[in-house]
Amino acid sequence: MDMTYLLLAISMLFALVATYSAIVERYLVKAVVFSALQSIAFTLALYLLRAPDIVLVYLPITVGIYPAAILFLIKKSEEVEEL
Amino acid sequence: MKKELLIAMSMVITVVVMAYIATLGGGLGPLFSDVRPLAKAFLSTTLDPEKPLFTAMSPEAVTAIVWDYRGLDTLFETAVFYLAIIGAIAIYRDVNEKVGLKGSGLGLSKIVRVVTKVLIPINIAIAISIALHGHLTPGGGFQAGAAMAVMPMLLIVVFSRYFLLELKLTKGLALAFRSIGLTGIALTVFLPIIIALVNGVNAYIMQNQMKVNAPVGLPAFIGNSLISGSLILYNVFEFLAVTFGFSVLFLLLSIEEDIVKDQMRGEVSEH
Amino acid sequence: MSTELDIFLANLSLISLIAIIGVSLYGILARPNIVKKIIALTIFTDAANLLAILVGFRRPPSIPPVLLNLEPRATDIAEFSASAVDPLPQALVLTAVVIGMAVNMLIIFIALQVYRLYGTLDARKIRRLRG
Repeated sequence: MDMTYLLLAISMLFALVATYSAIVERYLVKAVVFSALQSIAFTLALYLLRAPDIVLVYLPITVGIYPAAILFLIKKSEEVEEL
Repeated sequence: MKKELLIAMSMVITVVVMAYIATLGGGLGPLFSDVRPLAKAFLSTTLDPEKPLFTAMSPEAVTAIVWDYRGLDTLFETAVFYLAIIGAIAIYRDVNEKVGLKGSGLGLSKIVRVVTKVLIPINIAIAISIALHGHLTPGGGFQAGAAMAVMPMLLIVVFSRYFLLELKLTKGLALAFRSIGLTGIALTVFLPIIIALVNGVNAYIMQNQMKVNAPVGLPAFIGNSLISGSLILYNVFEFLAVTFGFSVLFLLLSIEEDIVKDQMRGEVSEH
Repeated sequence: MSTELDIFLANLSLISLIAIIGVSLYGILARPNIVKKIIALTIFTDAANLLAILVGFRRPPSIPPVLLNLEPRATDIAEFSASAVDPLPQALVLTAVVIGMAVNMLIIFIALQVYRLYGTLDARKIRRLRG
């Protein structure tokens, strides 16, 4: 048994739960936070898959730039998704 | 909320059970045991001074593929990047960002501002180091651009966008720097052909090291330090293009909605 | 080399990834709000990219595709190409992440313009409006 596979499986299960929470959450700001959590789990998975280049490009974009841009969009439009 | 929790738990259990069934049936046993022959070809030629006709002279295989082996792919990806940013700018074509200039007294509290001021030089140093060492260690133009593009967003959120305007980082200046980056990429693409025309020999577009029938190659070393020919030039210019491309988008996205609506309404009534 | 438990954990990662793709597709297709659709779309892109990286993985002990020796001999290069992971999916994903972000920003700008013109981001209401 190898630590790589164990941590990979844990991070992917965490990403699955975070994705589901982001999709069903009605308050969009919370959905963006869940989406950022999913990105952090994916970053750990990329690091474990021996891809340091992708970690360097993925972390600032999906945890920094993209939630900030979506928050600007939410601030300028609606905050709650109506089903 | 209880229903969602139940569905999430059942989803996790389903995934675990399916993985167990797949393992019983053999599943992905042979997967990951070896890489494809193409990958081995890339890995064994990425830095090999004894094969000067095949090597990219960079120990970083990813950067070597991005800008040498599959360079034209990246060139057209950069064209897509250019067009996406042009599309966003076209939506804001008649909006003047300087209307309603309020000065830099806005923004978050003093603690956050001081911490941000400490972070800014660190961020710039890290981004430039990632760009300049892109051909030696993990990193490169795209990574450095992504790391650097966090900075204008941070400045806008912490100090308000008027701070950037007072630093003279307007839409026009950011577009000019982005154009310098794209022009640099275009010049580096044609650089081997220009050198070959002067010397009267053949060359390929985006050529890095010398090839069969094309003996022109950009120098792999300056003095004793490895610069990998054209890779360092591409990394630096792509760094400029990505950083300032995203800066333009943040400058436009942060304009207050009532200012944008006023100016767009004026545009409609003029026509 | 790899035990039964390793194979189970690798299967678990792959099937979780496929489940993430399924959940995000549900988000793109069935949720009404356009911001929620954009969030689901980025998760879908990330999962597709991670799948590409996973295909190029090599079972541990393996190293990232970076040669640590600047003056390699033939034995160093042979050892490197026998232990490093596949660099080609990483190079393709690297550009796809940045370009995907720029295209997502364009989508965000268009969604903002839709909100300015129609006053709503609900896809069902936007479909009913004309002009």
